[in-house]
Amino acid sequence: MSQALPDDPVTRPVNLPRFTETGAVDPKLAGTALALRGLTKAFGARTVVDAVSLDVPAGSFFGLVGPNGAGKTTTLSMVTGLLRPDAGRVFLTGVDVWADPVTAKTRMGVLPDGLKLFERLSGKELLGYLGRLRGIAPEVVDQRAGELLTVLDLADAGDKLVADYSTGMRKKVTLAAALLHTPPVLLLDEPLEAVDPVSARVIRTVLTRFTTNGGTVIFSSHVMALVEELCSHVAVMAAGRIIASGELGQVRGSATSLDDAFMHLVGADDAGTGGLEWLGSSQA
Amino acid sequence: MVGLFASLKWTLVTSRLRRSSRAVRAWTIVLLVVVLAVLLFIAFGLSQLRRVPDVAPLVVTGLYVAQLLGWALMPLVAFGVDETVDPQRFALLPLRAQTLQRGLLVTAVVGWLPVANIIVMIGAVISTSSPWALLPVALIAAGIQLITCVVLSRAAATAMSSLMASRRGRDLGVLVGFVLVAGYVALSALLNSGSGQNFLTEGAGRAAKVLGWTPPGALASLPYRLATGQYGAAALGLVIALVALGLVWWWWGRALHVRLTTVSSTSESGGAGASTLSASAGSATGTAAMARLVARRDAVLSWRDPMRRLPWLIVLFMAVFWPLVVFRGAAGGLAVFGVILGSLMAGSQSANQFGVEGSGLWLHLTAYADRARARGEVLGHAAAAILPGAVCVLIALVTVSSIGGDWTQTPAAAGVCLAALLGACAISSWVSASLPFAMPQSRKSLFASSVPGQKGRTSGAQVSILLGGLVSALPAAGLAVVSALVDPAWGWLALAVGLLSGAVMLLVAIPATADRYLATGPEILAVVSAGDRV
Repeated sequence: MSQALPDDPVTRPVNLPRFTETGAVDPKLAGTALALRGLTKAFGARTVVDAVSLDVPAGSFFGLVGPNGAGKTTTLSMVTGLLRPDAGRVFLTGVDVWADPVTAKTRMGVLPDGLKLFERLSGKELLGYLGRLRGIAPEVVDQRAGELLTVLDLADAGDKLVADYSTGMRKKVTLAAALLHTPPVLLLDEPLEAVDPVSARVIRTVLTRFTTNGGTVIFSSHVMALVEELCSHVAVMAAGRIIASGELGQVRGSATSLDDAFMHLVGADDAGTGGLEWLGSSQA
Repeated sequence: MVGLFASLKWTLVTSRLRRSSRAVRAWTIVLLVVVLAVLLFIAFGLSQLRRVPDVAPLVVTGLYVAQLLGWALMPLVAFGVDETVDPQRFALLPLRAQTLQRGLLVTAVVGWLPVANIIVMIGAVISTSSPWALLPVALIAAGIQLITCVVLSRAAATAMSSLMASRRGRDLGVLVGFVLVAGYVALSALLNSGSGQNFLTEGAGRAAKVLGWTPPGALASLPYRLATGQYGAAALGLVIALVALGLVWWWWGRALHVRLTTVSSTSESGGAGASTLSASAGSATGTAAMARLVARRDAVLSWRDPMRRLPWLIVLFMAVFWPLVVFRGAAGGLAVFGVILGSLMAGSQSANQFGVEGSGLWLHLTAYADRARARGEVLGHAAAAILPGAVCVLIALVTVSSIGGDWTQTPAAAGVCLAALLGACAISSWVSASLPFAMPQSRKSLFASSVPGQKGRTSGAQVSILLGGLVSALPAAGLAVVSALVDPAWGWLALAVGLLSGAVMLLVAIPATADRYLATGPEILAVVSAGDRV
């Protein structure tokens, strides 16, 4: 099959051969951790992700921001192979995720939002199982799992069932599972949503260490302060489209904060104003 | 306020019907009409007991006691089915405890189950109203009985609500569900046996006399005691019933107060127990290693998750007891063929293998995409069903043959049963990938097997597995017929053919399932994830 140019917005249907275990990397995507080309997904008549094209530089801490319903989770689901796109292509470290999933899956660590784990395994068992599932040698898995549980402050809860974990603990053990096979790219959907401050600090520290060592972190969030603090690059998504992307300072422009820039970009400068004159008039 | 609660419950009861499609609504109405007809038939049968006034109070006593027990146990089995059972949902409303209690009582009386109870109780009332002048007394007694049932159920639910909202509580509920099913089957077997008939004629009468002094028994016996001039006994029985009602009402009020004013201290934390998964498993570097890893994980989860463990108890129970109960009179050792039900059930334990953990499937989808490991995964799920399934089937075959004292048809039956086991497992694997369905992940009830909007898929998959398992046993079954009619030696050929046909089906199904799973993983995930919300 002829390969479309990776930098073109390709919009062909994704009925691609699924099992080519080639691991071939397109040289035009060198230095790019993730490249999206014309990625599209519609549910019924509603187009949730609309021909999105995006480049994420390798080694960057990349924030995908947008209001609820912007299409962030749908985009990340298509990138991670959990949701089939209607059109477009996804290149992860140059490998087409949907044409060569065997190679692509070895190069990504995933932390989705709201999906279950194997609830009746303990944290330690879950990591041990997933490591072995990926074909890593048992002694390496056990050594890495032990270190990850310690660093992520889960050592005392390692023998507890995942079903009994708090939200923060679940995020941390999922992050541990995502790091276990040392992937070059981490794809995280709202990694700090509903997480307590201590766990959030631990996760942020680990992610920062990961990028310092050359890894790429791509995460979605709608907390602008967090993105501004952590990210080197950012893309703003609204109504299924990328409306701005680039280095943080470039996207922020002359605005005083990323939050102000974001409000301006999504056309929500006046959000929350007008009406409600009766507020504060309670006689109780 | 009471009217508001009644209208809330009515809205909840009818909302699912209103949201469903026209076809589903029509079928629901047909089902309701059938259930109504059955209930009316039961009520009519009960009312005919009027003709035997000495027996009617005994039967109604048993009925009322069973009814009270059923209502008391219901929160354990079906907590979460009725949104108004959990008082925590009303915690933020500015209501006094007494007002809330009265409102919740009304919500408990509005619903399909109370209506079904009332219909059956009308039959009980008529049966005990002899002479007719005692009809008002029987009606009042029935009213007190129903309110006692409802209040006891709500008191138990409120007292246990923090427990039932936890994983351990739900596990306990599933266990109670199994005990009820097993108890029902064992009681049916006992009553159908010779000793059961003696029990019915002698023991039941004595038991009913003792139960006559319990609150439900006293209410059931009230009209009879008045009719026979036992006024003292009637008054004492009434006092017992009213005091019991007062006590459960107080208990409910107390439980409500505690539940709404204190923070739950129930801890869900629990260790995983001895780890059998990580310590000894190797890495999935090929099909066989992957199969071992997945089978071991399934075994660990089956042991820890009551929703997986209890079906195995039911398989063993049905494999052994069902042939003994249903085919106990079969001549020539044919009862042993009844083990096929257990075989089909065991094979179906590998059904919906990608949906059992709900959206947890993503952990596998993001970990690998190669054929070797996909085949290993399917083989592992199949092995986790076949190995314990074969043990259950062999135990059942030996037990049933030993009790019947006839081993002539055992080889043929083993062939049929093993073919059904392997065939049902093969079909289960294929249907897992071609017709997956969501399974409720809340683990609230043993009896909830599908989610709204996927009942057709669930039923289709289950029927396919059952029929497929039966069809796969046909070659062995043909030889089993020859074994029964011509010479039992043919049974050994049936055994060989059964094993061979089952193995062939597995060999075909496993790679086909793996390829289908790899090709449609995201679509399967989308379907099974719906179970997370139920």
